[in-house]
Amino acid sequence: MNRFLSKDFLSGLMFICFGLAALYFGQKLALGTPVRMGPGYVPRMLSLTLLALGAVICIVALVSGSDPVERLKWKPLTLVTIGIVCFALLFERAGLIPALVVLILVASLAGEEFKLIEVIGNIVALSVLCTLVFKVGLGMNIYILRGVW
Amino acid sequence: MELLDNLALGFSVALSFQNLAYALLGCLLGTLIGVLPGIGPVATIAMLLPITFHLPPTASLIMLAGIYYGASYGGSTTSILVNLPGEAASVVTCLDGYQMARNGRAGAALSISAVGSFFAGTVGTLIIVLFAEPLTRMAQKFGPADYCSLMALGLVAAVILASGSVVKAIAMIFLGLLFGLVGTDVNTGAQRFTLDMPELSDGIDFAPIAMGIFGIAEIIVNLERHLTRTGGTIKVTSLWPTMDEVRRAIPAAIRGTFLGAALGVLPGGGPTLGAFSSYTLEKRISKDPSRFGKGAVEGVAAPESANNAAAQTSFIPMLTLGIPSNAVMALMVGAMIIQGIQPGPEVMTKKPDLFWGMIASMWIGNAMLVVINLPMIGIWVKLLTVPYRFLAPAILLFCCIGAYSLQNSTFHVMQVAVFGVLGYVFVKLGCEGAPFLLGLVLGPQMEEYFRRAMLLSRGDPMVFLERPISLGLLITTALLLLLMALPSFKKARKEAFVEEEG
Repeated sequence: MNRFLSKDFLSGLMFICFGLAALYFGQKLALGTPVRMGPGYVPRMLSLTLLALGAVICIVALVSGSDPVERLKWKPLTLVTIGIVCFALLFERAGLIPALVVLILVASLAGEEFKLIEVIGNIVALSVLCTLVFKVGLGMNIYILRGVW
Repeated sequence: MELLDNLALGFSVALSFQNLAYALLGCLLGTLIGVLPGIGPVATIAMLLPITFHLPPTASLIMLAGIYYGASYGGSTTSILVNLPGEAASVVTCLDGYQMARNGRAGAALSISAVGSFFAGTVGTLIIVLFAEPLTRMAQKFGPADYCSLMALGLVAAVILASGSVVKAIAMIFLGLLFGLVGTDVNTGAQRFTLDMPELSDGIDFAPIAMGIFGIAEIIVNLERHLTRTGGTIKVTSLWPTMDEVRRAIPAAIRGTFLGAALGVLPGGGPTLGAFSSYTLEKRISKDPSRFGKGAVEGVAAPESANNAAAQTSFIPMLTLGIPSNAVMALMVGAMIIQGIQPGPEVMTKKPDLFWGMIASMWIGNAMLVVINLPMIGIWVKLLTVPYRFLAPAILLFCCIGAYSLQNSTFHVMQVAVFGVLGYVFVKLGCEGAPFLLGLVLGPQMEEYFRRAMLLSRGDPMVFLERPISLGLLITTALLLLLMALPSFKKARKEAFVEEEG
């Protein structure tokens, strides 16, 4: 088993990346003095600690080993993310119904079974429910179908 | 009798029509998600956070609290009837509850668990009433340095009781603290880590992070694992337990209640820990431990009472000190901040109606749950047959609309997507989300107290060691860290979590 692909080593690496990113984006913030701390003082402290912890986790993982990472399954992750992003892009431009249809279709593809009839039924039921709850019931200021309602 | 006056005030608030309705709604939702596997109380509360924004503060907190303890009632129903724990705290109930059901005692198991939970809820609420005032008085004497140390203790203690690597959990806390600092610096107005996005100048909203890391990531993981349900449903006959069952259940429920209540107050404790410990205790003191796992009444009464008592008492540190002790409490703190209430000792003095109303509503909610769960058991069992392929897209949809409704901006929906991916990465790398969330909630306050303490002491960090309260808290923190490094404690901790997962 490759020691570099273990859960602990990769999470240590993740913490180091976040620490470095925080140092990079926080480099222009004034540090100030311990009495009058500038906006950059605490972030700098935290990012350095995070870097140190990340390094410790990596070293321990290399020396004593840890569980290998489970194999990633890309389908659910990418489809769910794409679904949410499509929803965000469509919601204000086209309205609730188009955004909903795309989200449910894409998200249903992520599951193990896909039956078109069921998905259509789900879409219809949720469209009615959301329109009633959010537009009629809560009176939210949203388009159901842009240009129509 | 100030206490009685306070309680009277609480009940007058909790018994208003609106608050009763929200308590009922919360209990129903909680039971629902407790029954449905694959979606726990943390994910649900995270997803409902945006909706609470539109409610009055008291009503929103009453509803969220209802979801929390409703889930522990609902989870026990499925554990007993179909051997499927709806959420982590009822895993132990499966062991003896399902066996009782197979022996034809399903009704008795259900009513013992419901009545035991109600008793535990009542005791838990009373404990909150008794401890709230003295603890709040004590907290009002705290200076900025003491607060900073208290938060450090809270964060470290939460780590001990989390499963998995301690160093990783501590790193997650620091990561959470860092994310909490995004936005405009309160003292100087400087923009920190906003990447020139004006939407981020108010900080990353708590709700999209919680929804992404807990809600979306949980859905993705469930879709991966092809969550399917097996096991036949068992018919419920008479709800009445026999005299012998009652005689065995009562002492077990009382022991479970007090053990659960004590463990619930600890940072990082909560229902799951309470349930596991009380089951172990019952097994250890039983004259005939071999009965456990074969349908022992004590094995249902004790953990069910313990998880409910712990669910109640875990509110104590959050309500009095403003320090959340687990992920659900961190979300409650988030809900308060959304409403513009700064959690801490001031809540009780400045908003007595909210404080006591919430406590009174907990007791009312517990009473409602007995009614919801016992006579309506058939309806909840039916819900188990809804396949996950319908649920997952629907939950996603409510997440998206909820995130949008926070500030009517699709930017928040995008944030949910980003944090969903991050949450998935956390799961895959075995990094716990709870410490991250605690750090995120406490980050801004902790920085504020730290800066104030250093300003008051003219830059001398010794202030944290010179104030007796702060020193005591820091010594406790250091002892906890030392304890975790001890080989014998490490072993015991590992064993405890192996038992929990198995």
